Amino acid sequence: MKRISKKAIALTMAGALALAACGGDDGGTDAPSTDAPATEAPSTEAPTDSDAPTTEAPAPAGWTVDTSECVDPDAANAPIEGTIKIGSAMPLSGSTAAIAFAPVKDGYEAYIDWANEQGILDGVTIEVQIEDDQYNKDLTPGAVEKLLDSGVSLFSGIIGTPNNAAVRDILNEECYPQLFSLTGSKNFGQPEDYPWTTGILIEYSVESRAYAKAISDKFGGSANVALFTVNNEFGQEYVEAFEAVAPDFGISIVAEETQEATDGTPPVSQLNSIASKAPDAIVAVPLGAACAAFLTEVANAKAANPGWSPEIYLTATCSSSLILSLAGANATGLYTSSNLVDVLDPESAALPAVAEYIAYMESLGKGDIITTANAGWHTAEMTVKIIKQAMESPDGLTRASIINAARNFDQTGSLARPGVRLKSVGIEDPFYSESLQIMQYDAETKLFTDIGELITDFEG
Amino acid sequence: MWKIKEGSTQHWALRLVGVAIIFVAVIWVPTQMSTSRIGQFSDAFVLIIAAMSLNLVLGFTGMISIGHSAFFGLGGYTAAILIKDHGWSPGYTFYASAVIAFVAGCVIALPALRIKGIYLALVTLAVAVLFPVLVKWKKLVWLTDGAKGIDSVRYDDLPVWPILGELKGRDGRAVFAYWLAFIVLVVTYLVCRGIVKSRFGRSLVAIRDNETAAAVMGVNVTTAKVLVFGISASLCSLAGVLSTLRTGVITPEGQYVTLLGSIVFLLIMVVGGAGTLWGPIVGGLVYVWLDNTTRGFGSESDGVIGFLFGWADQSPATMILGIALIVIMFAAPFGLVGLIKKVWVKLVVVVPRPAGTSVAMTAVEVGR
Repeated sequence: MKRISKKAIALTMAGALALAACGGDDGGTDAPSTDAPATEAPSTEAPTDSDAPTTEAPAPAGWTVDTSECVDPDAANAPIEGTIKIGSAMPLSGSTAAIAFAPVKDGYEAYIDWANEQGILDGVTIEVQIEDDQYNKDLTPGAVEKLLDSGVSLFSGIIGTPNNAAVRDILNEECYPQLFSLTGSKNFGQPEDYPWTTGILIEYSVESRAYAKAISDKFGGSANVALFTVNNEFGQEYVEAFEAVAPDFGISIVAEETQEATDGTPPVSQLNSIASKAPDAIVAVPLGAACAAFLTEVANAKAANPGWSPEIYLTATCSSSLILSLAGANATGLYTSSNLVDVLDPESAALPAVAEYIAYMESLGKGDIITTANAGWHTAEMTVKIIKQAMESPDGLTRASIINAARNFDQTGSLARPGVRLKSVGIEDPFYSESLQIMQYDAETKLFTDIGELITDFEG
Repeated sequence: MWKIKEGSTQHWALRLVGVAIIFVAVIWVPTQMSTSRIGQFSDAFVLIIAAMSLNLVLGFTGMISIGHSAFFGLGGYTAAILIKDHGWSPGYTFYASAVIAFVAGCVIALPALRIKGIYLALVTLAVAVLFPVLVKWKKLVWLTDGAKGIDSVRYDDLPVWPILGELKGRDGRAVFAYWLAFIVLVVTYLVCRGIVKSRFGRSLVAIRDNETAAAVMGVNVTTAKVLVFGISASLCSLAGVLSTLRTGVITPEGQYVTLLGSIVFLLIMVVGGAGTLWGPIVGGLVYVWLDNTTRGFGSESDGVIGFLFGWADQSPATMILGIALIVIMFAAPFGLVGLIKKVWVKLVVVVPRPAGTSVAMTAVEVGR
């Protein structure tokens, strides 16, 4: 066997890669529908009725998507009949952090089963297929391709910022609605570039603004604040958002400490460093179980520094009593926020829609995960409401009418706090959840107490 | 058992059949399979390239590296930054990544001159752990965008390749990504093969088997080690570029950019067969197939899987994958290629030409 000469290798390599290089981008833009959406009349705020969501008529002259740049415009406008299939990619296996999200799938599927039983969509059966991407963005495109091959009409509730980003281009090019991406990154409110993609979690900047205001009010207009965040995309976006609003509320940030997402050790040195600056308040964005470890270390730091007793503002992602109960008594008195009801609170659990949710989950033998599955139930419910609104629109149920409904939307969810509306008005206001409730936690009763009114200032 | 002479008609026929099978398979995938299958092959190719590059230093030279995820990330970031910030056409970023990673690889190889074995493993471990931290470092945020990473990195318009014609939408992208990954894979294979079969390659094997003896025989150990590490890093970075182009996103948390990536590359190399040219290819295809299959088992699977793993109340994917890999290593301690060779020599033995007429070949050459 002859040895292939080095020259030949070099030539092949150069030749092959030159092929890849030529004809690349000519500075052209791709995002399929960047060109001005057909019509936009955001002033006509579609629904006026506030309490009976299902009777709301879709906006006749709201924002509509431009399908002319789709790969297959006819398919995007083709009627969907009989069965509609929803697809999603979520972490169901893999690392511990990833598995923590697994109950979202259970909640999601439970709602779809429930909706089919109830016949929510008249004459249309809903199917849902959720693929496992292990929270690994390299696996998300494969998962989504598999779903597209199996006839999915829309995507909803894909978990994770990079995971959503990894399929956003292809879904916009192909014109498939990518609803309720479970991320709070402001990158997911770019309807001009990505008309087919929408987000759902509270945008990080909304929460940081609410906290900044609460802290400022509490300390009479000026306060020293320390930030403690997880050192990943989530934490970084949060820090940037808080830094941006802090000056407006007379807040000076005296310390910024981070913790690696993979770091399982308690953040001792970070808290020592924060304590040395003795801030009035700490705004903390830890991840999952690290929320409890953070609270324990705060208690230790307080014990070591008598006289220092900062207010703690914890991000909404920690606001599950399941997580906070891990910190025991150290969690008492902290502030956090949410826009969903606390399903463990007897008062909320008595609300008919919440009771229905709990009863249904228990009937499936999944009563133990109701505090984490609620995100899935909520997302599925809102997705089905969008589909229903699309069905009732003059265009009937098509992929295009689904995204049009999603962008001219104003409804409430059964697990949302009273008064919280998911609202999106064309490309003017692409974010859904912009209202939230600040709450204080009591470790003894394991319940949250509302502090002040529901904040809705940021809507719009 | 069937004995054939090296270079005989039968031998050539056998080779031809092998080549034909591969040729048909390579064409079959993008023309006959579903888009998601094509995508799985592209994913496999990316991992195979990374495992091949690792094989070069670990399998052939015996230098333990668990820092290859850093080179993967370096390639991915080079591509992302050049495309997004500097408007490069994606194709050219392969060259840039290769050059940058080569230099980085050579620099990181310097400690390898003094230390070996488990100590070298520790140094490369540090490289793997350090890379994501470096990317997130505040002073580099202007370049890397920190923890947020860089997104929407891709071919805006697919290049028009003569044979493939105009490619549109996701089907077009999948086919294009397949061929792009395939070409890089072939290039990587040829580089590895070229090295392994050369004088340089034999000096690498000599270093692996006995460094002192190699030095005594006149092998320039310093140059060889640094060079092979650089080349390996360079090849691994190409896999990183492909990964970034496939997903359009690179973040420091990405699985193949962190330590976990190095473990996956190592796994593929070992499962396929370390120190063999075809090992990473077989290992990569098997790994991706296993990974996709196991992830398909939900927590409520029916049948055997549901019966065996239903009690776990969560997706058994990771568990089954782990068990499968252990079983493979148990059945094929020298990797799948080792197993194939073992079976193959029972069927066909290629008798090498007498020494002096050509490069001596082992009986199992056909199996490679």
